[in-house]
Amino acid sequence: MSGNSAFVMVTERGWRRGLGNLLSNEFAAWWKTKLWWIQCLIWGGIIGFMLGAIIFGSPDFALDEALFIYSIFAGLFPAVAVVIVMQDAIVGEKQEGTAAWVLSKPVSRPAFILSKFAANSVGVLATMVVFPGIIAFAMLSLAAKAPLDLSRFLPALGVIFLSHLFYLALTLMLGTLFRGRGPVIGISLGFLFLQQYLIGMLPALKYALPWTLVIPLNNQNDAIVPALLTGQPPYSLIPLAAIAIEIVVFVWIALVRFEREEF
Amino acid sequence: MSESPPAVVETHQLTKTYKGVQALESLDLVVQRNSIFGFLGPNGAGKTTTIKLLLGLIRPTAGTASVFGMDIVRESVDIRARVGYLPQEPHFYEHMSARQTLRFAARFFFKGPEKAIEERVEEMLHLVDLDEKADRPIKTFSGGERQRLGIAQAQVNYPDLLILDEPAASLDPIGRRDVLEVMSRLRKYTTVFYSTHILDDVQRVSDTVVILDKGSLVAQGPIEDLLAGGEGAVYIVHLRGDVEAARRQVQAQPWVTRLHAGEHAGETAWQVSVSDQEAAEAQLLKLLVNGPVLVTEFRRKQYELEDIFMQVVQGGQDVRQ
Repeated sequence: MSGNSAFVMVTERGWRRGLGNLLSNEFAAWWKTKLWWIQCLIWGGIIGFMLGAIIFGSPDFALDEALFIYSIFAGLFPAVAVVIVMQDAIVGEKQEGTAAWVLSKPVSRPAFILSKFAANSVGVLATMVVFPGIIAFAMLSLAAKAPLDLSRFLPALGVIFLSHLFYLALTLMLGTLFRGRGPVIGISLGFLFLQQYLIGMLPALKYALPWTLVIPLNNQNDAIVPALLTGQPPYSLIPLAAIAIEIVVFVWIALVRFEREEF
Repeated sequence: MSESPPAVVETHQLTKTYKGVQALESLDLVVQRNSIFGFLGPNGAGKTTTIKLLLGLIRPTAGTASVFGMDIVRESVDIRARVGYLPQEPHFYEHMSARQTLRFAARFFFKGPEKAIEERVEEMLHLVDLDEKADRPIKTFSGGERQRLGIAQAQVNYPDLLILDEPAASLDPIGRRDVLEVMSRLRKYTTVFYSTHILDDVQRVSDTVVILDKGSLVAQGPIEDLLAGGEGAVYIVHLRGDVEAARRQVQAQPWVTRLHAGEHAGETAWQVSVSDQEAAEAQLLKLLVNGPVLVTEFRRKQYELEDIFMQVVQGGQDVRQ
């Protein structure tokens, strides 16, 4: 045995210990497997097919209607995929014993959580927001015979991403709170679809829940993304701030809870 | 006055309770540098709990412990930077190959250079004889191959302390022999702390043994002390002739605590327990040879670890050294 003198040793300390290696591993799980192109295929396919049906299926095509439908499809359905992908990120590793193995190495627990959050956020952004967004932009620009206004389209994509990030952080947090996949996926999906009823019971909740980021309640100006896409002023910017704060709180709870987890 | 080298692992009243169930009770342990420390006990004795506490995977309910002088709660990450760990049932990312797994494990310790990391990975693959299967996904590996990969990843950083939880449990006899050989080889470079329920392995390679039962330490000491027995030395004597006279003579000695007589292959067989080993070695055989008997066999009784284990675990006897 020749010792470790030939190596440059890892010197990071504190919460950053092991973060680089974990991030590489998490990115590899997205980009060096079939996950990325499957997600691109699914969401590019769904958005492309749906917009194609609207653009070419009806003789009296209306751009605003297509943008409105795009907001719902791009905002709601990939959120289901976000939950499904993320439910395995923590619970799967806890159940399969890989989390215990990784944490037996010189790795901080915050690094474990943050690597999951960062790498999956980038994966979701690229495959569920940007790639289908490019397809939608191209198809709608072709149909409108002029490029869409990027100053409206890009912020709309940003809000769609914020909405997905909410479910990503929620599922991540639930993964640290529960040991089984059932509660994690059940609570996340239940919340996704039940929040419209919650807002119905208590209308003020529309400022605090991600539903009205992408899906209108009564008319299309009730939601931020359709308003941005069609050039209308959003009904309020409070939901953007509220959701951003909630994402931070979810990640913080995940960090605190995971620090106490026993393996 | 020479100072003894600092211990690698020290625990003081280390206790772990899970929802009211005592998994580990007031464990006091000292593991010396460059020893092969056998951690023995039946299932549920608290072996894995102790290992997980040392690695910071769980937190103690009471008591303290240090590894390389660092606190297991506050300095856990720094401890793990100097430790290699093989879990009882190693779980790796199934889509990765053995090579990718070792590379991933190595990068928690080394930033580079690439060439040195790749060489270390190759060395580890060779050490556990996985060269041929290095690029196959782990999901195709057998239990024994996973175990070997587990041993390789535990050593990838040349740790100062190697913690192995049941390293030979799922291996065939040849695999077990290989693991024990690797452990013996590593003694020069590192301290090996390993848990097992295979008594034969412990007897073959360990120099210090701890026996746990139901979360409590029931025996601890150098292996030769434990094998010598907790009641002092016992001598086996086979003889023929006028044994009664010889028996009275032997029993009259102040250092003889017990003489148990039986029969073996037509001869009289004694087990003579003594309190003073030096006196017994100097006088016992002389006493008999000069008497009216013919001594056909004379030896000190060697305990098997299994005897000790059964004695302390089933008999509930405390033989702490």
